[in-house]
Amino acid sequence: MSATDLLNLLIAALLLAGVYAVMSVGMTIIYGVMKIVNLAHAGFLMLGAYFVYELYTHLRIDPLLGVFLGFPVFFFIGMAVHRILVRRIPISDQPTLTSLLLLFGLWLVLQNLGYLVWGNSDRAILTRRTLDVLQIGPIGLPTVRLVVFAVALAALAGLEFVLHKTWFGRAVRALMQNNDAGRIVGVNVDRTARVAFGVGIAFAGAAGGLLAMLYSFSPDFGGAFLLRAFVIIVLGGLESFAGVAIGSLILALVETFAILALPANYQPAIAFSLLVVALVVLPGGVAGLWNRRRRLA
Amino acid sequence: MKFVRNSGVFGFALLVAILVALPWFGPSPNAVRLLFVTFVWVTVSIAWNILGGFGGQVSFGFAVFYGLGAYAAALAVNSGLPTVPALLLAAGVALVASLVIGLPTFRLRGPYFAIATIGVSEAVRVVMTNVSLTGGASGYRILETGPFRQLDHFYISLALAVLAVAASVQVRRSRFGLALIAIREDEDAASDLGVNPFRAKLLAHALAAALTGAAGGVYAQYAGFIHPQGVFAFSIGVAILLMPIIGGVGTIWGPVIGGVVYGLIHDELVASFPQLHLLIYGSLLILIVLFEPAGLVGLLDRSFGILVGSRRIRAANPQT
Amino acid sequence: MPPILRLDRVSKNFAGLKALKEVSFELEQGGIYGLIGPNGAGKTTLLSIIAGSLRLTSGAVIFEGRNLVGTKSFRTVRAGVIRTHQVPKPFRALSVLENVEVGIRFGRRERSAGDPQDAARILEWVGIAHLAHNSSATLSVGDQKRLELARALAARPILLLCDEICSGLTEAETACVLNLLRKIEKGGTTILYVEHNLRAIMSVSRHVIVMNYGQKLAEGSPEMVQNDPAVIEAYIGGQASADGRQRRPGSAACG
Repeated sequence: MSATDLLNLLIAALLLAGVYAVMSVGMTIIYGVMKIVNLAHAGFLMLGAYFVYELYTHLRIDPLLGVFLGFPVFFFIGMAVHRILVRRIPISDQPTLTSLLLLFGLWLVLQNLGYLVWGNSDRAILTRRTLDVLQIGPIGLPTVRLVVFAVALAALAGLEFVLHKTWFGRAVRALMQNNDAGRIVGVNVDRTARVAFGVGIAFAGAAGGLLAMLYSFSPDFGGAFLLRAFVIIVLGGLESFAGVAIGSLILALVETFAILALPANYQPAIAFSLLVVALVVLPGGVAGLWNRRRRLA
Repeated sequence: MKFVRNSGVFGFALLVAILVALPWFGPSPNAVRLLFVTFVWVTVSIAWNILGGFGGQVSFGFAVFYGLGAYAAALAVNSGLPTVPALLLAAGVALVASLVIGLPTFRLRGPYFAIATIGVSEAVRVVMTNVSLTGGASGYRILETGPFRQLDHFYISLALAVLAVAASVQVRRSRFGLALIAIREDEDAASDLGVNPFRAKLLAHALAAALTGAAGGVYAQYAGFIHPQGVFAFSIGVAILLMPIIGGVGTIWGPVIGGVVYGLIHDELVASFPQLHLLIYGSLLILIVLFEPAGLVGLLDRSFGILVGSRRIRAANPQT
Repeated sequence: MPPILRLDRVSKNFAGLKALKEVSFELEQGGIYGLIGPNGAGKTTLLSIIAGSLRLTSGAVIFEGRNLVGTKSFRTVRAGVIRTHQVPKPFRALSVLENVEVGIRFGRRERSAGDPQDAARILEWVGIAHLAHNSSATLSVGDQKRLELARALAARPILLLCDEICSGLTEAETACVLNLLRKIEKGGTTILYVEHNLRAIMSVSRHVIVMNYGQKLAEGSPEMVQNDPAVIEAYIGGQASADGRQRRPGSAACG
């Protein structure tokens, strides 16, 4: 394999990592603040994709703009979901099965809504940009991927800013580190949780829109990405954003380079297997250690 | 208490007797098929409940055992094995798979375990879709060895379902069942009192997998043709966990009720409201989680004060 | 006679935090041993390590001559070391009686057939027999603590590790539980008792070990320890010296 090919693959992996990162951030926020594994994340990825699609097809709104518009829309949807559903179940500092099942149920409902409104045929977003390739010497960079990567980076940078420079961000970080201590120093946990949930869903919707620019989609679109999001937050560290970046990079690299070794058919199994391995080998240890620490409280 | 418990078993025996005698009343082939499907679902529902309901370990990955059982039985029958040994083989294959899967994944707690099972389930599906020995994505056919005798399949599936109920009752009343419940309620406290959680989970998993594998085998023999998208589908794994949860997770009769409801209604649902079954199941799941964790059994208990074979309905919560 | 429990330089690190630093002591067979220390001293951590719920970083825990290091808690239970929990952990879906059944059927070295009278007797002994068929989730704190004790006793411990079994209880309840501990000890069980209530622990222990910041600070008879300047300093406010005399709380009616 030539150096050019290697470089191409590396860059492809990097671009992919950016997308994966922005896709996982939503889950990480919600998990970090509330210890909820949001299975409905997949549903919101899907809705985000269709949102951008509809804006593009009916209103001729550029998908990128659609993604940005999606942010506030899904933010409010997320807060509504929190108020109507999530708020009613007990939250502890360990993830509960109740929350898992609740959000799984929501995912099923969202999927069905998708089927009802859009049917089960694949859709895709095709713009002038879709097939453009930026040539830098021997390297060909698909423009769409570059754009998506740039937006992803911008979104993550924005999130970093919010986390470190605003009251909300401080509250979120406090709760992610220690829920009870956060409560004691006066963080309004319920309001922060609601906003955090809204932000998490906002990122899910936006990520869905970005993904729609790269892949075709149908109502069960979210599933494959959901598992990837798990792999990422588990590989990289369940509660940190730097971890998300690391996890995204690892997964993207493994997936991209696995094509060299495995036939394409087996590709989906990579994420799944990596997930199991990561859960068992790594956070089997980290989460287990975390578990034991909590047991002494 | 004993009266209720025994009257539950007595009622069930009566029901079984009626079902055994049913063919004499000349039911339509469609009715028999519906019952067959129901018995298969009841079996897997009960099986899942042993691990998930009694033991509190929620697995999304039981399609693996169902599918492996189906393929094992199909391969066995094509190699000349008669029905029952083929089913035993199916159960055995599923059991071994449960150990292979359980050894790494049972080191995880609660939701982490659940997520890992999603990963395993999908990985197996992808692999089976690509293995040419068993026909890959095109599926696998069982060779015809004689005329299709629907009643034979009816009785086999009924026998398996009865076996599953018996196993469930036996587990619940045994020392093993007590261990599972203790683990579900508080794994650390259970360990601090001498319960070996890892071993108990593996055992429960094995028993559940064997039953599920046998059910898959029974289905394969009936259907005559199986393919990965069918038997290994994530939706099968979801259905397997929905049934006991809807019926009443952690109880004895809850999974039975859930299996019956699902078996009888699912096909109807998909036929009449093809667009809505996910919505219905998802909403049911949400409602159950929010308002009635004990499922239909809990509802019955609240409305009519009927204890359907379990002493404490609130035993059912799939909490941490 | 060799000590029933010997801790040899037990240390425990939690990702940089040194919770225990080379703690060593010995317990003779029989008797109640108190383990005291300010908050954060590492008492519960130590108890968890002895019980096998937590893995130590270095050192040895020798029980009846055998090194327990690396043993999970259900195996130390088989060896005869049983613990109660600081925050009670009842099996909420099970009745009080069934909770005790778990201890009987899994905690004992000889497999028990589960004689229902057994569990009832233990509940009687601890004073909550009248709650036998109640759901364990509905118990008051005091009764939950007694259930903890009952469950642990059901497992017939050789060494009983009590973690703050009196905290949160009234004077009368505390006196009751202390009497139970004395009775248990008379039956031949060795007890290692972690407690915040200094009066309680001083009145019932024959030997006290004091910890601070993860290290053993002092040990000796209750009088010695109460008057040890280092100990007094560790408890700023000197609770240890507030009660120079030994007082035995009267045995109030139990249950």
